[in-house]
Amino acid sequence: MAGRSNARVPPLSERQWAFLMRVAVRIVPAVADLDAAGRSRFVAIVSKALAERPRPIQHQFGLFLGVLRWAPFLRFGSPFDRLPPEDEDTVLRWFLDAPVAKLRSGFWALRALAFMGYYGQPEVWPSLRYTPSFRGNEMLHG
Amino acid sequence: MLARWGVPGLGHVDLRRRSEKYLGENNVHLLGEETINDNNRRFFEACRTLGYRVEQFPVNVKGCQGSGLCNLGCPNAAKQGTHRVQLPAAEAAGVEVVTNCKVERIGERDCLATVTNPPFGEPSHWPEGRYRIRARAIVVAAGAVNSPALLLRSQLPARLPALGRYFTAHPALILVGEHDRPISNFYGHPKSYYCDHFVESAKFLLETCMYFPFTTAKNLIGFGAEHARLMSRMDRMQMILVLAVDPALAENRIAVDAAGDPVVHYRFTDEVMDALIESQRVAARIFFAAGCTRVHAPAGTGFFIGANEADRLEELITREAFKLGKVSISSAHLMGGCRMGTDPATSVTDAWGQVHGVPWLFVADASLFPMCSEINPYVTIMALADRVAERVRTRLPGLPAA
Ligand SMILES: Cc1cc2nc3c(=O)[nH]c(=O)nc-3n(C[C@H](O)[C@H](O)[C@H](O)COP(=O)(O)OP(=O)(O)OC[C@H]3O[C@@H](n4cnc5c(N)ncnc54)[C@H](O)[C@@H]3O)c2cc1C
Ligand code: SF4
Repeated sequence: MAGRSNARVPPLSERQWAFLMRVAVRIVPAVADLDAAGRSRFVAIVSKALAERPRPIQHQFGLFLGVLRWAPFLRFGSPFDRLPPEDEDTVLRWFLDAPVAKLRSGFWALRALAFMGYYGQPEVWPSLRYTPSFRGNEMLHG
Repeated sequence: MLARWGVPGLGHVDLRRRSEKYLGENNVHLLGEETINDNNRRFFEACRTLGYRVEQFPVNVKGCQGSGLCNLGCPNAAKQGTHRVQLPAAEAAGVEVVTNCKVERIGERDCLATVTNPPFGEPSHWPEGRYRIRARAIVVAAGAVNSPALLLRSQLPARLPALGRYFTAHPALILVGEHDRPISNFYGHPKSYYCDHFVESAKFLLETCMYFPFTTAKNLIGFGAEHARLMSRMDRMQMILVLAVDPALAENRIAVDAAGDPVVHYRFTDEVMDALIESQRVAARIFFAAGCTRVHAPAGTGFFIGANEADRLEELITREAFKLGKVSISSAHLMGGCRMGTDPATSVTDAWGQVHGVPWLFVADASLFPMCSEINPYVTIMALADRVAERVRTRLPGLPAA
Protein backbone atom coordinates (compact mmCIF):
# COMPACT_ATOMS: atom_id res chain seq x y z
CA MET A 1 0.00 0.00 0.00
CA ALA A 2 1.17 3.51 -0.90
CA GLY A 3 2.39 5.04 2.34
CA ARG A 4 3.98 1.95 3.77
CA SER A 5 7.21 2.64 1.91
CA ASN A 6 7.97 5.01 4.81
CA ALA A 7 8.45 2.12 7.20
CA ARG A 8 11.71 0.24 7.32
CA VAL A 9 9.81 -2.76 8.60
CA PRO A 10 6.12 -2.49 7.63
CA PRO A 11 4.32 -1.99 10.95
CA LEU A 12 1.05 -3.56 9.72
CA SER A 13 0.19 -6.47 7.42
CA GLU A 14 -2.23 -6.12 4.46
CA ARG A 15 -4.90 -7.76 6.54
CA GLN A 16 -4.37 -5.40 9.46
CA TRP A 17 -4.59 -2.46 7.07
CA ALA A 18 -7.89 -3.66 5.69
CA PHE A 19 -9.19 -4.01 9.25
CA LEU A 20 -7.91 -0.59 10.29
CA MET A 21 -9.64 1.04 7.30
CA ARG A 22 -12.89 -0.68 8.20
CA VAL A 23 -12.76 0.62 11.79
CA ALA A 24 -11.67 4.07 10.58
CA VAL A 25 -14.98 4.40 8.72
CA ARG A 26 -16.87 3.94 12.01
CA ILE A 27 -14.64 6.53 13.70
CA VAL A 28 -14.75 9.10 10.89
CA PRO A 29 -17.69 8.26 8.61
CA ALA A 30 -16.33 10.53 5.85
CA VAL A 31 -13.37 8.15 5.36
CA ALA A 32 -15.82 6.03 3.33
CA ASP A 33 -16.25 8.91 0.89
CA LEU A 34 -12.55 9.55 0.29
CA ASP A 35 -11.50 9.16 -3.32
CA ALA A 36 -8.42 7.13 -4.27
CA ALA A 37 -6.09 10.09 -3.69
CA GLY A 38 -7.67 10.81 -0.30
CA ARG A 39 -7.37 7.18 0.72
CA SER A 40 -3.74 7.03 -0.22
CA ARG A 41 -3.07 10.26 1.70
CA PHE A 42 -4.83 8.66 4.68
CA VAL A 43 -2.62 5.57 4.41
CA ALA A 44 0.53 7.67 3.96
CA ILE A 45 -0.19 9.79 7.07
CA VAL A 46 -1.02 6.81 9.27
CA SER A 47 1.92 4.77 7.95
CA LYS A 48 4.35 7.56 8.68
CA ALA A 49 2.98 8.01 12.21
CA LEU A 50 3.24 4.28 12.88
CA ALA A 51 6.69 3.97 11.32
CA GLU A 52 7.99 6.71 13.63
CA ARG A 53 6.90 4.82 16.73
CA PRO A 54 9.30 2.41 18.48
CA ARG A 55 8.96 -1.21 17.43
CA PRO A 56 7.36 -2.35 20.75
CA ILE A 57 4.62 0.28 20.35
CA GLN A 58 3.98 -0.84 16.76
CA HIS A 59 3.76 -4.38 18.02
CA GLN A 60 1.34 -3.44 20.81
CA PHE A 61 -0.82 -1.61 18.31
CA GLY A 62 -0.92 -4.65 16.01
CA LEU A 63 -1.92 -6.77 19.01
CA PHE A 64 -4.66 -4.32 19.91
CA LEU A 65 -6.12 -4.60 16.40
CA GLY A 66 -6.25 -8.37 16.93
CA VAL A 67 -8.00 -7.95 20.29
CA LEU A 68 -10.53 -5.55 18.79
CA ARG A 69 -11.19 -7.94 15.92
CA TRP A 70 -11.81 -10.98 18.07
CA ALA A 71 -13.23 -9.59 21.33
CA PRO A 72 -16.78 -9.27 19.87
CA PHE A 73 -16.80 -13.04 19.37
CA LEU A 74 -17.58 -13.43 23.07
CA ARG A 75 -20.76 -11.37 22.88
CA PHE A 76 -21.85 -11.52 19.24
CA GLY A 77 -20.37 -14.84 18.11
CA SER A 78 -18.51 -13.18 15.20
CA PRO A 79 -15.40 -11.12 14.75
CA PHE A 80 -15.70 -7.34 14.48
CA ASP A 81 -15.54 -7.25 10.70
CA ARG A 82 -18.54 -9.53 10.28
CA LEU A 83 -20.83 -7.39 12.45
CA PRO A 84 -23.46 -4.96 11.22
CA PRO A 85 -22.42 -1.30 11.67
CA GLU A 86 -24.61 -0.71 14.78
CA ASP A 87 -22.93 -3.61 16.58
CA GLU A 88 -19.51 -2.39 15.48
CA ASP A 89 -20.33 0.94 17.14
CA THR A 90 -21.48 -0.85 20.30
CA VAL A 91 -18.13 -2.64 20.46
CA LEU A 92 -16.19 0.58 19.90
CA ARG A 93 -18.18 2.38 22.60
CA TRP A 94 -17.31 -0.44 24.97
CA PHE A 95 -13.60 -0.05 24.19
CA LEU A 96 -13.84 3.75 24.60
CA ASP A 97 -14.94 3.25 28.22
CA ALA A 98 -13.36 -0.17 28.82
CA PRO A 99 -12.70 -1.09 32.47
CA VAL A 100 -9.02 -1.81 31.72
CA ALA A 101 -6.84 1.25 30.99
CA LYS A 102 -4.70 -0.61 28.42
CA LEU A 103 -7.79 -1.32 26.30
CA ARG A 104 -8.89 2.33 26.53
CA SER A 105 -5.39 3.44 25.49
CA GLY A 106 -5.39 1.00 22.57
CA PHE A 107 -8.65 2.44 21.33
CA TRP A 108 -7.37 5.97 21.97
CA ALA A 109 -4.41 5.21 19.68
CA LEU A 110 -6.63 3.77 16.97
CA ARG A 111 -8.99 6.74 17.19
CA ALA A 112 -6.07 9.18 17.07
CA LEU A 113 -4.64 7.50 13.95
CA ALA A 114 -8.01 7.57 12.19
CA PHE A 115 -8.43 11.27 13.04
CA MET A 116 -4.87 11.99 11.95
CA GLY A 117 -5.32 10.17 8.64
CA TYR A 118 -8.48 12.11 7.83
CA TYR A 119 -8.27 15.50 9.56
CA GLY A 120 -4.53 15.72 8.86
CA GLN A 121 -5.33 16.19 5.16
CA PRO A 122 -5.50 19.91 4.30
CA GLU A 123 -7.71 18.90 1.35
CA VAL A 124 -10.62 18.16 3.74
CA TRP A 125 -10.33 21.37 5.77
CA PRO A 126 -12.70 23.48 3.66
CA SER A 127 -15.44 20.91 4.33
CA LEU A 128 -14.95 21.62 8.06
CA ARG A 129 -15.21 25.34 7.35
CA TYR A 130 -11.60 25.64 8.44
CA THR A 131 -9.78 27.84 5.93
CA PRO A 132 -6.69 29.31 7.62
CA SER A 133 -4.62 31.99 5.94
CA PHE A 134 -1.03 33.11 6.47
CA ARG A 135 -2.50 36.63 6.51
CA GLY A 136 -5.29 35.97 8.98
CA ASN A 137 -5.54 39.55 10.25
CA GLU A 138 -6.71 40.66 6.81
CA MET A 139 -9.51 38.09 6.92
CA LEU A 140 -10.36 39.07 10.50
CA HIS A 141 -11.72 42.36 9.33
CA GLY A 142 -13.55 40.92 6.35
CA MET B 1 6.16 31.48 42.48
CA LEU B 2 9.70 32.05 43.78
CA ALA B 3 8.45 31.90 47.37
CA ARG B 4 6.94 28.48 46.59
CA TRP B 5 10.20 27.36 44.96
CA GLY B 6 12.14 28.46 48.03
CA VAL B 7 15.61 28.29 46.45
CA PRO B 8 18.05 30.30 48.58
CA GLY B 9 19.94 32.74 46.36
CA LEU B 10 17.23 32.90 43.70
CA GLY B 11 15.51 36.23 44.29
CA HIS B 12 12.57 38.03 42.74
CA VAL B 13 14.45 41.25 41.94
CA ASP B 14 17.21 39.38 40.11
CA LEU B 15 14.85 37.20 38.06
CA ARG B 16 12.61 40.14 37.23
CA ARG B 17 15.54 42.22 35.98
CA ARG B 18 16.68 39.41 33.70
CA SER B 19 13.15 38.66 32.50
CA GLU B 20 12.63 42.31 31.59
CA LYS B 21 15.80 42.25 29.52
CA TYR B 22 14.34 39.44 27.39
CA LEU B 23 10.85 40.92 27.30
CA GLY B 24 12.56 43.88 25.60
CA GLU B 25 14.93 41.90 23.34
CA ASN B 26 12.15 39.61 22.13
CA ASN B 27 9.63 42.40 21.59
CA VAL B 28 7.10 41.08 24.10
CA HIS B 29 4.06 43.36 24.13
CA LEU B 30 0.28 43.46 24.24
CA LEU B 31 -1.49 43.18 20.90
CA GLY B 32 -3.83 45.98 19.87
CA GLU B 33 -7.55 45.50 20.28
CA GLU B 34 -8.08 45.47 16.49
CA THR B 35 -6.21 42.13 16.25
CA ILE B 36 -8.23 40.33 18.93
CA ASN B 37 -10.63 37.80 17.39
CA ASP B 38 -14.00 36.65 18.78
CA ASN B 39 -12.54 33.47 20.28
CA ASN B 40 -10.32 35.59 22.52
CA ARG B 41 -12.62 38.57 23.08
CA ARG B 42 -15.55 36.42 24.16
CA PHE B 43 -13.34 34.59 26.67
CA PHE B 44 -12.24 37.89 28.16
CA GLU B 45 -15.74 39.31 28.34
CA ALA B 46 -17.20 36.11 29.80
CA CYS B 47 -14.54 35.96 32.53
CA ARG B 48 -15.31 39.58 33.38
CA THR B 49 -19.05 38.85 33.51
CA LEU B 50 -18.45 35.92 35.83
CA GLY B 51 -16.09 37.92 38.04
CA TYR B 52 -13.03 35.78 37.22
CA ARG B 53 -9.62 37.48 37.14
CA VAL B 54 -8.52 37.65 33.50
CA GLU B 55 -5.43 39.25 31.94
CA GLN B 56 -4.12 39.87 28.45
CA PHE B 57 -1.04 37.86 27.46
CA PRO B 58 1.92 39.86 26.25
CA VAL B 59 3.31 38.08 23.16
CA ASN B 60 6.75 37.96 21.52
CA VAL B 61 5.86 38.95 17.96
CA LYS B 62 7.05 41.45 15.38
CA GLY B 63 4.95 41.88 12.24
CA CYS B 64 2.38 39.26 13.28
CA GLN B 65 -0.05 38.58 10.42
CA GLY B 66 -2.55 36.70 12.57
CA SER B 67 -2.20 33.36 10.80
CA GLY B 68 -3.21 31.61 14.04
CA LEU B 69 -0.55 28.97 13.43
CA CYS B 70 1.76 29.78 16.38
CA ASN B 71 1.71 26.23 17.69
CA LEU B 72 3.10 24.91 14.39
CA GLY B 73 5.90 27.46 14.11
CA CYS B 74 5.36 30.87 12.56
CA PRO B 75 5.05 30.93 8.74
CA ASN B 76 5.65 34.70 8.74
CA ALA B 77 8.85 34.69 10.79
CA ALA B 78 7.03 37.01 13.20
CA LYS B 79 7.45 35.01 16.41
CA GLN B 80 10.50 36.33 18.23
CA GLY B 81 11.74 33.16 19.91
CA THR B 82 15.34 32.51 20.94
CA HIS B 83 15.94 31.02 17.46
CA ARG B 84 15.27 34.41 15.87
CA VAL B 85 16.84 36.70 18.46
CA GLN B 86 19.40 35.17 20.82
CA LEU B 87 20.86 32.43 18.59
CA PRO B 88 21.61 34.71 15.62
CA ALA B 89 23.12 37.24 18.05
CA ALA B 90 25.30 34.52 19.59
CA GLU B 91 26.47 33.41 16.14
CA ALA B 92 27.26 36.98 15.21
CA ALA B 93 29.36 37.20 18.39
CA GLY B 94 31.40 34.16 17.34
CA VAL B 95 29.49 31.23 18.88
CA GLU B 96 29.55 28.16 16.64
CA VAL B 97 26.11 26.55 16.37
CA VAL B 98 26.16 22.94 15.15
CA THR B 99 22.77 21.69 14.02
CA ASN B 100 21.60 18.05 13.93
CA CYS B 101 24.18 17.21 16.54
CA LYS B 102 23.02 14.88 19.30
CA VAL B 103 25.08 14.70 22.47
CA GLU B 104 25.18 11.07 23.53
CA ARG B 105 27.18 11.24 26.73
CA ILE B 106 29.14 13.61 28.91
CA GLY B 107 32.50 12.59 30.33
CA GLU B 108 35.18 14.42 32.32
CA ARG B 109 35.06 17.84 30.60
CA ASP B 110 34.17 16.32 27.27
CA CYS B 111 31.20 14.97 25.44
CA LEU B 112 30.48 12.42 22.77
CA ALA B 113 28.21 13.64 20.00
CA THR B 114 26.83 12.35 16.71
CA VAL B 115 26.09 14.53 13.72
CA THR B 116 23.50 13.21 11.29
CA ASN B 117 21.76 14.98 8.49
CA PRO B 118 18.08 14.05 8.33
CA PRO B 119 16.13 15.39 5.35
CA PHE B 120 14.63 18.23 7.41
CA GLY B 121 15.83 21.18 9.46
CA GLU B 122 18.96 23.25 9.00
CA PRO B 123 21.72 21.02 7.53
CA SER B 124 24.77 20.68 9.76
CA HIS B 125 28.00 22.26 8.57
CA TRP B 126 29.91 19.50 10.35
CA PRO B 127 30.22 16.28 8.32
CA GLU B 128 28.14 13.35 9.54
CA GLY B 129 29.92 11.23 12.12
CA ARG B 130 30.85 10.85 15.78
CA TYR B 131 32.81 13.49 17.64
CA ARG B 132 34.50 13.85 21.00
CA ILE B 133 34.40 17.49 22.05
CA ARG B 134 36.57 18.79 24.87
CA ALA B 135 35.46 21.84 26.84
CA ARG B 136 36.38 23.83 29.94
CA ALA B 137 32.72 23.98 30.90
CA ILE B 138 29.67 22.15 29.61
CA VAL B 139 26.17 23.66 29.75
CA VAL B 140 23.34 21.20 29.18
CA ALA B 141 20.15 22.72 27.73
CA ALA B 142 18.34 19.79 26.14
CA GLY B 143 14.97 20.41 27.87
CA ALA B 144 13.27 18.81 30.86
CA VAL B 145 13.15 15.32 29.36
CA ASN B 146 16.45 15.16 27.52
CA SER B 147 18.73 17.01 29.95
CA PRO B 148 18.05 14.59 32.82
CA ALA B 149 18.27 11.68 30.36
CA LEU B 150 21.63 12.87 29.05
CA LEU B 151 23.02 13.25 32.56
CA LEU B 152 21.58 9.86 33.58
CA ARG B 153 23.36 8.07 30.74
CA SER B 154 26.63 9.91 31.46
CA GLN B 155 29.21 8.82 33.99
CA LEU B 156 29.31 11.82 36.30
CA PRO B 157 31.78 12.18 39.17
CA ALA B 158 28.96 12.87 41.67
CA ARG B 159 26.04 11.04 43.24
CA LEU B 160 22.80 12.76 42.25
CA PRO B 161 19.82 10.91 43.76
CA ALA B 162 17.35 13.63 42.66
CA LEU B 163 18.44 13.48 39.00
CA GLY B 164 15.39 12.98 36.75
CA ARG B 165 12.98 13.38 39.66
CA TYR B 166 10.35 16.04 40.49
CA PHE B 167 9.28 16.24 36.85
CA THR B 168 6.17 18.36 36.24
CA ALA B 169 4.22 18.87 33.03
CA HIS B 170 1.22 21.24 33.36
CA PRO B 171 -1.14 18.47 32.18
CA ALA B 172 -3.45 20.12 29.67
CA LEU B 173 -6.92 19.75 28.20
CA ILE B 174 -8.25 21.43 25.08
CA LEU B 175 -11.93 22.26 25.59
CA VAL B 176 -14.50 23.20 22.98
CA GLY B 177 -17.74 25.15 23.09
CA GLU B 178 -20.02 25.61 20.08
CA HIS B 179 -21.80 28.77 18.98
CA ASP B 180 -24.90 28.71 16.83
CA ARG B 181 -23.20 30.87 14.19
CA PRO B 182 -19.64 31.41 12.96
CA ILE B 183 -17.24 33.43 15.09
CA SER B 184 -13.74 34.59 14.14
CA ASN B 185 -11.43 32.00 15.66
CA PHE B 186 -8.72 30.68 13.33
CA TYR B 187 -7.91 34.14 11.94
CA GLY B 188 -5.91 36.38 14.27
CA HIS B 189 -3.35 35.61 16.99
CA PRO B 190 -4.65 32.55 18.86
CA LYS B 191 -3.59 33.29 22.42
CA SER B 192 -4.46 36.67 23.88
CA TYR B 193 -5.88 36.06 27.38
CA TYR B 194 -5.42 33.92 30.45
CA CYS B 195 -7.44 33.46 33.62
CA ASP B 196 -5.42 32.64 36.73
CA HIS B 197 -8.37 33.09 39.08
CA PHE B 198 -8.30 29.41 40.12
CA VAL B 199 -4.57 28.82 40.47
CA GLU B 200 -4.56 29.10 44.26
CA SER B 201 -7.95 27.60 45.03
CA ALA B 202 -8.20 24.79 42.47
CA LYS B 203 -4.73 24.50 40.88
CA PHE B 204 -5.49 25.25 37.26
CA LEU B 205 -5.02 27.99 34.73
CA LEU B 206 -7.18 28.75 31.68
CA GLU B 207 -5.91 30.25 28.43
CA THR B 208 -7.43 31.05 25.08
CA CYS B 209 -6.30 28.82 22.21
CA MET B 210 -7.30 27.68 18.76
CA TYR B 211 -6.13 24.31 17.48
CA PHE B 212 -6.03 22.57 14.14
CA PRO B 213 -8.45 19.94 12.83
CA PHE B 214 -6.55 16.82 13.87
CA THR B 215 -5.60 18.16 17.30
CA THR B 216 -9.18 19.26 17.88
CA ALA B 217 -10.66 15.94 16.74
CA LYS B 218 -8.31 13.99 19.01
CA ASN B 219 -9.27 16.08 22.02
CA LEU B 220 -12.99 15.45 21.66
CA ILE B 221 -14.29 12.30 23.28
CA GLY B 222 -16.16 9.81 21.12
CA PHE B 223 -16.33 9.07 17.42
CA GLY B 224 -18.79 8.63 14.56
CA ALA B 225 -21.62 10.88 13.49
CA GLU B 226 -21.91 13.26 16.49
CA HIS B 227 -18.16 13.77 16.60
CA ALA B 228 -18.09 14.42 12.84
CA ARG B 229 -21.00 16.89 13.09
CA LEU B 230 -19.17 18.99 15.66
CA MET B 231 -15.96 18.82 13.60
CA SER B 232 -17.80 19.95 10.49
CA ARG B 233 -18.32 23.42 11.99
CA MET B 234 -14.89 24.53 13.11
CA ASP B 235 -15.90 28.11 12.36
CA ARG B 236 -18.36 27.94 15.28
CA MET B 237 -15.91 26.66 17.84
CA GLN B 238 -14.61 28.53 20.84
CA MET B 239 -11.65 26.90 22.59
CA ILE B 240 -10.04 27.04 26.02
CA LEU B 241 -6.79 25.43 27.09
CA VAL B 242 -6.59 24.16 30.67
CA LEU B 243 -3.24 23.76 32.40
CA ALA B 244 -3.16 21.90 35.72
CA VAL B 245 -0.59 23.20 38.20
CA ASP B 246 0.84 19.80 39.12
CA PRO B 247 2.85 18.99 42.26
CA ALA B 248 6.57 18.17 42.06
CA LEU B 249 6.82 14.57 43.26
CA ALA B 250 9.97 12.49 43.49
CA GLU B 251 8.25 9.56 41.79
CA ASN B 252 7.31 11.59 38.71
CA ARG B 253 10.59 11.22 36.92
CA ILE B 254 12.65 10.79 33.81
CA ALA B 255 14.53 7.50 33.56
CA VAL B 256 16.50 5.97 30.70
CA ASP B 257 15.92 2.60 29.07
CA ALA B 258 18.59 0.08 28.11
CA ALA B 259 19.40 2.09 24.97
CA GLY B 260 19.76 5.29 27.02
CA ASP B 261 16.56 6.80 25.61
CA PRO B 262 14.36 8.77 28.00
CA VAL B 263 11.31 7.18 29.59
CA VAL B 264 8.84 9.43 31.41
CA HIS B 265 7.18 8.02 34.54
CA TYR B 266 4.23 10.21 35.44
CA ARG B 267 1.33 9.48 37.78
CA PHE B 268 -1.75 11.68 37.82
CA THR B 269 -2.48 12.49 41.45
CA ASP B 270 -6.03 12.89 42.77
CA GLU B 271 -5.27 16.60 43.14
CA VAL B 272 -4.47 16.92 39.43
CA MET B 273 -7.50 14.85 38.40
CA ASP B 274 -9.73 17.07 40.58
CA ALA B 275 -8.20 20.18 39.01
CA LEU B 276 -8.83 18.83 35.50
CA ILE B 277 -12.47 18.03 36.34
CA GLU B 278 -13.22 21.33 38.06
CA SER B 279 -11.54 23.24 35.21
CA GLN B 280 -14.07 21.73 32.79
CA ARG B 281 -16.98 23.03 34.88
CA VAL B 282 -15.44 26.50 35.05
CA ALA B 283 -14.65 26.45 31.31
CA ALA B 284 -18.25 25.41 30.59
CA ARG B 285 -19.51 28.42 32.61
CA ILE B 286 -17.21 30.67 30.58
CA PHE B 287 -18.37 29.14 27.28
CA PHE B 288 -22.02 29.64 28.17
CA ALA B 289 -21.40 33.18 29.41
CA ALA B 290 -19.63 33.78 26.07
CA GLY B 291 -22.75 32.76 24.16
CA CYS B 292 -22.06 29.09 23.32
CA THR B 293 -25.16 26.99 22.85
CA ARG B 294 -23.42 23.68 23.55
CA VAL B 295 -20.24 22.58 25.30
CA HIS B 296 -18.24 19.39 24.92
CA ALA B 297 -16.48 18.27 28.11
CA PRO B 298 -14.14 15.24 28.15
CA ALA B 299 -15.55 14.38 31.58
CA GLY B 300 -19.12 14.94 30.42
CA THR B 301 -21.68 12.19 30.93
CA GLY B 302 -22.87 12.90 27.36
CA PHE B 303 -21.23 14.26 24.21
CA PHE B 304 -22.77 17.73 24.63
CA ILE B 305 -24.02 19.83 27.50
CA GLY B 306 -26.67 22.28 26.33
CA ALA B 307 -27.02 25.87 27.57
CA ASN B 308 -30.32 24.83 29.20
CA GLU B 309 -28.33 22.42 31.40
CA ALA B 310 -25.80 25.01 32.54
CA ASP B 311 -27.06 24.87 36.13
CA ARG B 312 -26.33 21.12 36.37
CA LEU B 313 -22.61 21.10 35.59
CA GLU B 314 -21.65 19.35 38.85
CA GLU B 315 -23.82 16.43 37.89
CA LEU B 316 -23.00 16.42 34.15
CA ILE B 317 -19.20 16.66 34.44
CA THR B 318 -18.01 13.87 36.69
CA ARG B 319 -14.93 12.06 37.84
CA GLU B 320 -16.45 8.69 36.82
CA ALA B 321 -16.63 9.79 33.18
CA PHE B 322 -13.03 11.03 33.20
CA LYS B 323 -10.86 8.00 32.62
CA LEU B 324 -7.15 7.93 31.91
CA GLY B 325 -6.48 6.32 28.56
CA LYS B 326 -9.81 7.62 27.26
CA VAL B 327 -9.18 11.34 27.51
CA SER B 328 -6.49 13.22 25.56
CA ILE B 329 -4.29 14.94 28.15
CA SER B 330 -1.33 16.68 26.59
CA SER B 331 1.66 18.65 27.80
CA ALA B 332 3.76 21.40 26.23
CA HIS B 333 5.37 22.70 29.44
CA LEU B 334 7.89 20.15 30.64
CA MET B 335 9.69 21.19 33.80
CA GLY B 336 12.04 19.79 36.46
CA GLY B 337 14.31 16.77 36.53
CA CYS B 338 17.49 18.76 37.27
CA ARG B 339 15.89 20.96 39.94
CA MET B 340 17.78 23.73 41.67
CA GLY B 341 18.30 23.69 45.42
CA THR B 342 20.90 23.50 48.13
CA ASP B 343 20.57 19.89 49.26
CA PRO B 344 22.16 17.33 46.89
CA ALA B 345 19.71 14.75 48.25
CA THR B 346 16.69 16.60 46.85
CA SER B 347 18.16 18.76 44.08
CA VAL B 348 20.61 18.44 41.19
CA THR B 349 22.05 21.94 40.76
CA ASP B 350 22.64 24.99 42.89
CA ALA B 351 20.73 28.25 42.40
CA TRP B 352 23.08 29.12 39.50
CA GLY B 353 22.57 25.91 37.56
CA GLN B 354 25.85 24.26 38.54
CA VAL B 355 25.49 20.52 39.03
CA HIS B 356 26.27 19.68 42.68
CA GLY B 357 29.84 18.48 43.04
CA VAL B 358 30.78 19.04 39.36
CA PRO B 359 32.19 22.57 39.00
CA TRP B 360 32.48 22.43 35.18
CA LEU B 361 28.93 21.15 34.49
CA PHE B 362 25.84 23.38 34.29
CA VAL B 363 22.18 23.06 33.32
CA ALA B 364 20.30 25.94 31.69
CA ASP B 365 16.75 25.01 30.77
CA ALA B 366 13.29 24.15 32.14
CA SER B 367 14.67 21.12 33.94
CA LEU B 368 16.01 23.55 36.59
CA PHE B 369 12.48 24.31 37.86
CA PRO B 370 12.16 22.92 41.41
CA MET B 371 8.35 22.92 40.95
CA CYS B 372 6.20 23.90 38.01
CA SER B 373 5.57 27.54 37.22
CA GLU B 374 2.11 29.00 37.63
CA ILE B 375 2.13 30.47 34.15
CA ASN B 376 3.78 29.68 30.80
CA PRO B 377 7.47 29.08 31.45
CA TYR B 378 9.45 30.49 28.49
CA VAL B 379 10.57 33.84 29.98
CA THR B 380 11.49 32.26 33.31
CA ILE B 381 13.64 29.68 31.49
CA MET B 382 15.45 32.50 29.66
CA ALA B 383 16.01 34.42 32.88
CA LEU B 384 17.43 31.31 34.59
CA ALA B 385 19.68 30.59 31.59
CA ASP B 386 20.92 34.16 31.84
CA ARG B 387 22.00 33.52 35.45
CA VAL B 388 23.78 30.35 34.39
CA ALA B 389 25.62 32.21 31.61
CA GLU B 390 26.75 34.80 34.15
CA ARG B 391 28.04 32.12 36.50
CA VAL B 392 29.92 30.33 33.70
CA ARG B 393 31.57 33.61 32.73
CA THR B 394 32.72 34.31 36.28
CA ARG B 395 34.05 30.76 36.58
CA LEU B 396 35.88 31.01 33.27
CA PRO B 397 37.26 34.55 33.18
CA GLY B 398 38.81 33.97 29.75
CA LEU B 399 35.40 33.90 28.04
CA PRO B 400 34.26 37.01 26.17
CA ALA B 401 31.94 39.33 28.11
CA ALA B 402 28.20 39.32 27.34
C1 LIG C 1 3.27 23.84 20.94
C2 LIG C 1 3.93 24.56 22.10
C3 LIG C 1 3.50 25.83 22.45
C4 LIG C 1 4.10 26.49 23.52
N1 LIG C 1 3.68 27.77 23.83
C5 LIG C 1 4.27 28.44 24.84
C6 LIG C 1 3.87 29.76 25.17
O1 LIG C 1 2.97 30.35 24.55
N2 LIG C 1 4.52 30.39 26.19
C7 LIG C 1 5.51 29.78 26.92
O2 LIG C 1 6.04 30.40 27.85
N3 LIG C 1 5.89 28.53 26.62
C8 LIG C 1 5.31 27.84 25.61
N4 LIG C 1 5.70 26.56 25.32
C9 LIG C 1 6.72 25.94 26.16
C10 LIG C 1 8.11 26.37 25.80
O3 LIG C 1 8.29 26.30 24.39
C11 LIG C 1 9.10 25.43 26.50
O4 LIG C 1 8.83 25.45 27.88
C12 LIG C 1 10.53 25.86 26.28
O5 LIG C 1 10.86 25.91 24.90
C13 LIG C 1 11.46 24.87 26.97
O6 LIG C 1 12.77 25.35 26.84
P1 LIG C 1 14.00 24.40 27.14
O7 LIG C 1 15.20 25.19 26.84
O8 LIG C 1 13.84 23.79 28.47
O9 LIG C 1 13.87 23.19 26.11
P2 LIG C 1 13.68 23.17 24.53
O10 LIG C 1 13.15 24.47 24.02
O11 LIG C 1 12.91 21.93 24.25
O12 LIG C 1 15.17 23.05 23.98
C14 LIG C 1 15.91 21.86 24.09
C15 LIG C 1 16.74 21.69 22.84
O13 LIG C 1 17.69 20.65 23.07
C16 LIG C 1 17.74 19.80 21.94
N5 LIG C 1 18.22 18.48 22.40
C17 LIG C 1 17.55 17.54 23.10
N6 LIG C 1 18.34 16.50 23.37
C18 LIG C 1 19.55 16.78 22.85
C19 LIG C 1 20.79 16.08 22.81
N7 LIG C 1 20.96 14.90 23.37
N8 LIG C 1 21.82 16.67 22.14
C20 LIG C 1 21.69 17.88 21.56
N9 LIG C 1 20.54 18.59 21.58
C21 LIG C 1 19.48 18.05 22.23
C22 LIG C 1 16.31 19.82 21.41
O14 LIG C 1 16.29 19.45 20.04
C23 LIG C 1 15.92 21.27 21.64
O15 LIG C 1 16.30 22.08 20.54
C24 LIG C 1 5.13 25.87 24.25
C25 LIG C 1 5.57 24.59 23.88
C26 LIG C 1 4.98 23.94 22.82
C27 LIG C 1 5.47 22.56 22.44
S1 SF4 D 1 -0.40 34.41 14.64
FE1 SF4 D 1 1.46 33.38 15.40
S2 SF4 D 1 2.15 32.15 13.69
FE2 SF4 D 1 0.73 33.65 12.83
S3 SF4 D 1 1.96 35.41 12.17
FE3 SF4 D 1 1.33 35.80 14.27
S4 SF4 D 1 3.02 35.01 15.52
FE4 SF4 D 1 3.23 34.09 13.50
